[in-house]
Amino acid sequence: MRSTILLLIALSFAAQGQDGSEARAILGQCLGCHNSKTAMSGLSLDSKEGILKGGKHGPAVAAGGSSLLLDVVRHTGDIKMPPGGKLKDAQIAVLEKWVADGMPMAAKAVAAPVHWSFKPPRKAPLPAGTHPVDHFIQAKLKENGLAMSKPADRRTLLRRLRFDLTGLPPTPSEIAAFLADTRPDAYEREVDRLLSSPHYGERWGRHWLDQARYADSNGYSIDAPREIWKFRDWVINAFNDDMPFDQFTLEQFAGDQLPKPTNEQLIATGFHRNTPINFEGGIDFEQYRVDHVVDRVATTGSVYLGLTLGCARCHDHKFDPLPQKEFYQFFSFFNNVDEAVEEKDRADVQKPVLELGTPAEIRKKNVIKAQLKALQVELNAYRKEVEPKQAAWEEKLTEADIKKFKFSVQAALGLHVGRRNDEQAALVFETFANTDEGWRERRATMRAVEKLSPKIVTSLIMKDLPQPRQAYIHQGGDFLRKGENVSAGTPSILPPLGNQGPATRVDLARWLTSKENPLTARVTVNRMWMRYFGRGIVETEDDFGRQGSLPTHPELLDWLAVEFMEKGWSQKAMHRLIVTSAAYRQASAADNRLALEKDPRNLLLSRQNRIRLEGEIIRDAGLVASGLFASKVGGPSVYPPIPSGVMNSGQNAREWVTSTGPDRYRRGMYTFIWRATPHPLMALFDGPDASAACTRRNRSNSPLQALTLLNDESVKEFADALATRALGEKDPLGYAFELTMSRPPSAAERDRLRRFVAGQKEEAGGSDKAAYAGLARVLLNLDEFMTRE
Amino acid sequence: MTDQELTRRHFFERCGVGVGKTALATMLAGDALAKQPHFPAKAKSVIYLFMAGGPSQFEMWTPKPQLQKLHGQAVPDSFLEGKRFAFMDTFTKEKPKLLATKREFKQYGQTGSWGSNLVPHTAAIADDLTFLHTVSTENFNHAPAKCFANTGFTRFGRPSMGAWVTYGLGTESKDLPGFVVLQSGPRGPRGGAPLWGSGFLPTTEQGVLFRGSGDPILNLSTPKGVTPRMQNQVIDAIRDVNAMRHETTADPEISTRIAAYEMAYRMQTSGPELIDFQKESKETLAMYGVEPGKPSFAANCLLARRLVERGVRYIQLWHTDWDHHDDLTKPLEDVCRQIDQPCAALIKDLKALGLLDTTLVIWGGEFGRTPMGEIRDGKTGRNHHIDAYTMWMAGGGTKPGVHFGQTDDFGFNAVEDHISMHDIQATVLNQLGLDHTKLTYQFQGRNFRLTDVSGKVITKILA
Repeated sequence: MRSTILLLIALSFAAQGQDGSEARAILGQCLGCHNSKTAMSGLSLDSKEGILKGGKHGPAVAAGGSSLLLDVVRHTGDIKMPPGGKLKDAQIAVLEKWVADGMPMAAKAVAAPVHWSFKPPRKAPLPAGTHPVDHFIQAKLKENGLAMSKPADRRTLLRRLRFDLTGLPPTPSEIAAFLADTRPDAYEREVDRLLSSPHYGERWGRHWLDQARYADSNGYSIDAPREIWKFRDWVINAFNDDMPFDQFTLEQFAGDQLPKPTNEQLIATGFHRNTPINFEGGIDFEQYRVDHVVDRVATTGSVYLGLTLGCARCHDHKFDPLPQKEFYQFFSFFNNVDEAVEEKDRADVQKPVLELGTPAEIRKKNVIKAQLKALQVELNAYRKEVEPKQAAWEEKLTEADIKKFKFSVQAALGLHVGRRNDEQAALVFETFANTDEGWRERRATMRAVEKLSPKIVTSLIMKDLPQPRQAYIHQGGDFLRKGENVSAGTPSILPPLGNQGPATRVDLARWLTSKENPLTARVTVNRMWMRYFGRGIVETEDDFGRQGSLPTHPELLDWLAVEFMEKGWSQKAMHRLIVTSAAYRQASAADNRLALEKDPRNLLLSRQNRIRLEGEIIRDAGLVASGLFASKVGGPSVYPPIPSGVMNSGQNAREWVTSTGPDRYRRGMYTFIWRATPHPLMALFDGPDASAACTRRNRSNSPLQALTLLNDESVKEFADALATRALGEKDPLGYAFELTMSRPPSAAERDRLRRFVAGQKEEAGGSDKAAYAGLARVLLNLDEFMTRE
Repeated sequence: MTDQELTRRHFFERCGVGVGKTALATMLAGDALAKQPHFPAKAKSVIYLFMAGGPSQFEMWTPKPQLQKLHGQAVPDSFLEGKRFAFMDTFTKEKPKLLATKREFKQYGQTGSWGSNLVPHTAAIADDLTFLHTVSTENFNHAPAKCFANTGFTRFGRPSMGAWVTYGLGTESKDLPGFVVLQSGPRGPRGGAPLWGSGFLPTTEQGVLFRGSGDPILNLSTPKGVTPRMQNQVIDAIRDVNAMRHETTADPEISTRIAAYEMAYRMQTSGPELIDFQKESKETLAMYGVEPGKPSFAANCLLARRLVERGVRYIQLWHTDWDHHDDLTKPLEDVCRQIDQPCAALIKDLKALGLLDTTLVIWGGEFGRTPMGEIRDGKTGRNHHIDAYTMWMAGGGTKPGVHFGQTDDFGFNAVEDHISMHDIQATVLNQLGLDHTKLTYQFQGRNFRLTDVSGKVITKILA
């Protein structure tokens, strides 16, 4: 809207004093898409010639005077423009008169204005000795008669920094050490220490995994488990190694196409294999393969370019100059993966998969696989001999017999034969067949052989077909309606791909992170900024197109984007830069009346923002406070306690065998992610559903969150441990408070909590343990506990 | 409303910061719990009885004399051309043949509505129902079709209808969620939680799954060893210390959190009361066919009525196992018996209580079943059919006793009054006073809506 107004102003200036200037000013808002360069639907409105020639729907104004253009703006036909909403009647009247007057307009087309985000970023000059972030933030504040808040106190600052860089709160001894460090660069030292902590990779890796739509299951109907945690670990390691973002991109997009790729580089390509996979009965596999490819385009668009490429799947983009054809050119990059396409691929539905064993292990596994296959054939033949006896066996079963079976077998036996689902039918047959000696022996042999198979970790990866698939335009977004053939390419509004020979995913990755690409660096630093301040410099962090919001601090955004590239795409360098600014280190209390009046949403950052922690981090903070925390980084996903019943809400009740030992107390990011039955802590605290890239999480605040933190088994376990820990100290109340809030309680808080503990103790028959467990529950439920201030 | 309140409202509503409706009400003085609809609403609540798996219209609602006559004959090619079905590969082996129903049909009521002997209770109240015989959908597989019916898109990740409704209208219940999900049948629906998810809407709009036994809501009971009095003290202390922090930080999120804990506490009381059927009369329990203490579709129907009474906006019941590919005998009889009497009881009960006028009840699956048989291991059933199938509605401003939509002689296609799932969604929103083209949310640069780019209100079925 704002850009439209600017455009209108600019155009009316340009046309001042000429005939038809008013009409052309109105048409100005159409030129973003309908200019002679982009010409969406083949139509350009920037010259009389273009209007008369028209686009694919015919002339915009015909020689005879009939006018598609007017029909379209009047909303009288099928096509209705502009997409943002109908013009005012007065504006339509101006256009009507202008058409009737023979469309007076300058012969030469006015060049279409370039949208801000498509122009390359430039660094504005910076006065010597100033922190770049503070320079730009302060300038805007000053312009508005505002100033930054005082710095946050050191405890708050340490807690903030720890949560932001590692996602873990400081322990009392870490706080004491930081407070005792009076060196002038104590804070910078802490920043460096945290950036080299392995937990940094977990914290920032998880942000990336949101965008990668990472999950441990296939989603859709069956929601079978998949093995791709190696990709999750690859991301953590890449962050910890500060792998330059261009390399990070290259390996994820095209690790498989690099010369002699390492296993790690192949694992990295799991990024675009995190799409859900459907394999319920009776599907057309090709349809879902196409969906995967579409998802890869949309994900790349929102994660890297801040463009809603997905909107151009069915038709030309309504707001940005992205024709549908260019969508399918982009689609072509990801279209050649050797994925399941037909019914016979069902057994290998997750392909391509990397097997991570030594060559000998893989050979052995294959040999055993072949043996098992042969044994299975023999078993199937034997089954035909046994099967006819099943009905008789079932009939003879007494109730006492049935009671001896597992509950699931009993349930299946209770059902009419035709009513049992496949799983239940198999269960009953297996129970029956085990009464036959020949069957038992064969099964035992198979199990023994199976056991010999080496346990090899696998991971979903990208691997192209030897012969690429021909991409084509899907008319109306329907893959069955074939349009024009296309080959791989990038949107024409952006700099050229620069490929030599047929375009590959390597070219795409290099193009995404080329210095000429105006979007990737901006979009990436903007999201970093969002994690630190709760909101991006561009608030619509996934839309840098015309419908997106404008940057609050355009010069700052550009400065950071250029700096990111100049620093060799080092993310750690950017983190260091941002967190060492005074803007970041301000207090977050909203206590400045003037600022609240002038800038109620704190867009200008006259203070820091309080930000509620993510579901995983709330869990992690509870683990650290209670002392239960198991700090292991990486490895297969784990199963902390889950409320009973959660796993029954999908088609298949998936097993959840609660982890024991340290795995019960791992960071939230390692909890096994079932797409159909997500862990309630994650679902309720706005965890992504992993159906598509999540570039920004909501921060909701709901009664169900309250119920979870009040009553969940895990939280109670944390509370009990926290109480035991605190009771060993001189000042249990103060210690428990510091463990959870990283600060001592105020006098008023201490007073209130002391009364609370007394009340709990009385109610719990004098038990200190119960009373302090109650205190711990209160602390783990406080807003401040789950907030980084 | 002052500018600042406007800004705050903008912040909460547009910027993805979800907020409990109570809290919003607390913070915006004079704001009601419920938001204003676009125009006066006919219905206040929705009960969507979702028959997961795809019930067979031919065995329940639509007798087709031609099917009976031409049973066993190959389907004319003209009907199959350009059509896609699930399990297409089975077609290539053998040409599908028309399948007559073995069910007996009777006409019921003033309207002479057809109903089979599988659904005698529901058919008996057909005069109160509005049948839609030409519903169609976009995908022939379970999970994507369920997704489409509930979110308007075949790919997962968009907000569900219940989430859109509570987003648009809020809730009238002070101590229960606005969108409640109930399940019955041998398993959960294919697709799971995303079917009642909030997508890009605030997470607070997601459906809350109530469970058939134990606590109706996860974590509703206080932990073992914690007495109600202790829990009370915990809640009070949380409130007081949070309030102290609010003084220091002046962050409105803390007020919201305080309100959320208040509501959580109320839910701990209202939840158990909600599922306690002791005050229901024996006649009511018998009418629904509820066996006390036993989870069932019948119990969920009664629960749905109780939820409506308590002002819950959108209630969705899932009953699974309608996927009768290879057996239209006992499995179908069982599942019909499980739902028939409770469905009829729900309508009768709502009507007797004067709640039917303001409660829109919807019955249907993600698709229907084919006119031709599907043979698996020598047994015959029906495949998924997406081009024309039957749903029914009742109450909420619909016209009772209507049969809308005509299909051809075999029930393959609509011959008049074609209905899409988007039309159903548009109509549901319409009855709630919401214009489906205006109930939008901007996400990734686009205004999204439940009905994507289509959907027409089915005005002919409205009273």
